[in-house]
Amino acid sequence: MPSDAVVKSEPSARTRGKLFAYGDKRWFSAVVGVVLAILVLPPLLFLVEGAVTVTEPGGAWHFSLHRFGAIVAQRGFLQSTANSFIFSLGSAVFALVLGGVMAWLVERTNTPLKPLAYLTTIISMGTPYVLYVSAWLLLLAKSGPINSWYRQVTGTSDILINVYGLGGMILIEGLLWSPLVFLLLGATLRNFNPELEEAARMAGAGPFATIRRITLRLSLPSILALAMLVFIRALEAFEVPALVGLPGRVHVLTTDIYDTMHLSMPPDLGSASALSCMLLVLVSALLYFYGRLTRNAERFATITGKNFKPAQLDLGVWRYPAAALLVVNFVLLLVLPLIILIWASLLPFYQSFSWAAFARITPDNYKNVLSSSRYIALLSNTFIIAFVTATAVMLIASFTAWLSVRKAPGAAMLDQLATTPLVFPGIVLGVGVMQLFLTVPVGVYGTVWIIVWAFCINYMPYGVRYSFAGMLQVHRELEEAAAVSGASAVTGFRRVVVPLLSPSLIAGWLFIFLLATRVLSLPVLLSGPSSQTMAVAMFDLWGNGQGPELAALGLLWSVAMTCIALIFYFIARRSGVGLQGQG
Amino acid sequence: MRLCARGLVAAFTISMLSAISHAQALDQALIDAAKKEGRVVWYTTQIVNQFARPAAEAFEKKYGIRVDYIRADSNEVALRILNEGRAGKVQADVFDGTAAVASLKKENLVLQWTPEGAKGLPANATDEAGYWVATNLYVLTPGYNTDLVPKGAAPKTFEDLLDPRWKGKIVWNTASSPSAAGGFIGVVLTAMGEEKGRAYLKELAKQNVAGIQVAARQVLDQVIAGEYAIALNIFNNHAVISAAKGAPSEWIAMNPAMAVLSVISVTKDAPHTNAGKLFLEFLVSEEGQKLYRDAEYMPMNPAVQARDPSLRPDGERFKAITFTPEQIETNMPKWAGIFREYFR
Repeated sequence: MPSDAVVKSEPSARTRGKLFAYGDKRWFSAVVGVVLAILVLPPLLFLVEGAVTVTEPGGAWHFSLHRFGAIVAQRGFLQSTANSFIFSLGSAVFALVLGGVMAWLVERTNTPLKPLAYLTTIISMGTPYVLYVSAWLLLLAKSGPINSWYRQVTGTSDILINVYGLGGMILIEGLLWSPLVFLLLGATLRNFNPELEEAARMAGAGPFATIRRITLRLSLPSILALAMLVFIRALEAFEVPALVGLPGRVHVLTTDIYDTMHLSMPPDLGSASALSCMLLVLVSALLYFYGRLTRNAERFATITGKNFKPAQLDLGVWRYPAAALLVVNFVLLLVLPLIILIWASLLPFYQSFSWAAFARITPDNYKNVLSSSRYIALLSNTFIIAFVTATAVMLIASFTAWLSVRKAPGAAMLDQLATTPLVFPGIVLGVGVMQLFLTVPVGVYGTVWIIVWAFCINYMPYGVRYSFAGMLQVHRELEEAAAVSGASAVTGFRRVVVPLLSPSLIAGWLFIFLLATRVLSLPVLLSGPSSQTMAVAMFDLWGNGQGPELAALGLLWSVAMTCIALIFYFIARRSGVGLQGQG
Repeated sequence: MRLCARGLVAAFTISMLSAISHAQALDQALIDAAKKEGRVVWYTTQIVNQFARPAAEAFEKKYGIRVDYIRADSNEVALRILNEGRAGKVQADVFDGTAAVASLKKENLVLQWTPEGAKGLPANATDEAGYWVATNLYVLTPGYNTDLVPKGAAPKTFEDLLDPRWKGKIVWNTASSPSAAGGFIGVVLTAMGEEKGRAYLKELAKQNVAGIQVAARQVLDQVIAGEYAIALNIFNNHAVISAAKGAPSEWIAMNPAMAVLSVISVTKDAPHTNAGKLFLEFLVSEEGQKLYRDAEYMPMNPAVQARDPSLRPDGERFKAITFTPEQIETNMPKWAGIFREYFR
């Protein structure tokens, strides 16, 4: 219990701290706001302008809302909207459950075989997206191993699993995002103050009641933030709906818009923009409700000034089923896709497992990749772009999350600005950035820097979500302590908040770094002859029907990325643990 | 006497030389101007390792002019040039594709100019207004998996595709492009006429044709992998390329096929107009056309035969309807509309 003297002196210290903080933060808020506005507003203006104006050949234009009408009137629009919702919600729930259970088992229980979960996550995050989707599709396809074996065993010509439908889409998209959930929720759970859980146990609650009523409740902001992230990401996902949904006649908004957009040549960006504007309104509404849910963020703060080490729950004999779950996750997310990719990379063209195909095995794909000198230049471009992007984004994002959680002036605006890019379809953002740099004479067009710029916009929301989830846990009292000791708000941020946030920041950096190395739509539109990236090369192989060579390149690439990810993760863990030790 | 003979020889030589130099006069001026520019920027839809890089290297070797290429799909190529044009800063000197030129010329971004070398090409290989010249021909036909469909059993006509045994086993690309559902619908409507064509397509829709939104090449790959038995409107040379590697793929000379011109153009106000023009001359020359042949494409120049001549429609056994960029641009919205009406 605090003594009376402490209680009395607290208000004055608080006021003093706040006064300093307010003065500093206002400045800071303004600077971060301007940076975000410069990044986000030009493409946003382009988006809105594209949605509501019609340009005739020759340059004359007029105002029109007909695109919105056309989208709504489109055959099957309501069905597509419903499908989009089911798909996004299903993927978010599935990813959260899968990733969340893994994170809890690994961070808060004494389940054996924990390293498997990290290995799975790190390698899967280093694997190119397109490669992952195709690996699962190959596994689950009509001609894939599972259905082939089923046919052999039963002797029928039926299939066991029909992946082409909403179920298959949710399964694959959910698997794709579960590592992200694992990483983020893991960071939350690792920094968890166990006092409340202990209190609950003391008060007679069983372990599951404790999880339900304390652990889950306290992690709610992180869970919601993640759910929203995956939901929005699935809403604008394209690969999975195009490859898995369409053959089963499941249309979603993104595949519809792709259709509409490509009806004319060059693509009708107006329709894409109109749909994006509708998405923007939707996402803003989601953000609003999300903001209300997490309004009293302090209630959720679990990193306070007190020293702690989260307790690990003893699962007893349940440790073994839990370990089995980790193994299943490991096999599902890593072993099976890897096996099928290795198999594909050794073939001259892709075929299911068979002795005839086995006879065709060749190392040619690897030879082709390793002997091509082109990849060296691509590699360095890709690294520069990914490194600068991840660093810049996490820098701005950590400021934004801090100001936003600490309710600095204009905090809501900052959050909204930083989250807006989620709704830009890649191609619309690409054209927006392109137009910006064609108009502003700074000589960035055609260099790697225009790609960095576009990526910074594209990934800002991820960076902010990562920082935000971490930030919610850091109690204000730590900064106040710094303020009382004479530190300015910025110093408090730098010396107290950033070190405590570092696990989240590093996880975010890693995520963006890896994403930036493999995302395609922007580099394709923005790269010049000397600023091509690895993703563009992969796109060439993909478009060229060289799936096996792509698998070989992708696997080699994943090995390199995994090494980077491992080193990075190791550093992150060490620094995180060290900091917790210091309290 | 000797002097006279010498004079004759000299006169003869001079006249010979002047005749030759006259033929090359335009070329030499162009070459000099191009060399002065030293560089050409090429926005291409060609696959880098198959064609773009070998072509760029060959041109650099011959003229010492650097070729900077950027590869993207034809939509992105069109978008880039359109935006560069609107900002008044066109970076591309040369671009290729199957339909992009039709919309870009409306924006006044394409130079009207026909290479000298185009004289060696068939009449339909050049645009009358000079906006484009065709370098090679794409032929789109159905293809099938030879493990799943025995050779004799493959459908030979449009009607054969309606056989109930193919129900759920046919795949195509749903994009609004020639190498997709849109192109197939275009061929059916053009060949059968509006009314019969629509009736046929309605029947075809009952076959539950699976649609995927990936490049034509991957549609064929899915067929090779055994996911589907038959693919509609794939590039027939792809089936041959894969078969050469031992893949169970074969194309069907279904009459009529769709033939699409792969065309190339110089941009208006290009930063390196002369180098761009020279690059076009190079690509339509016999030397350039051989590069297309070596990449397993069908060159436009009749003197350079494709590696597998049977791929090219001969007009008797195997017929095709050829579509120009303008025809594709004009009709595609209608074809895509029919796709939506019947097939989704």
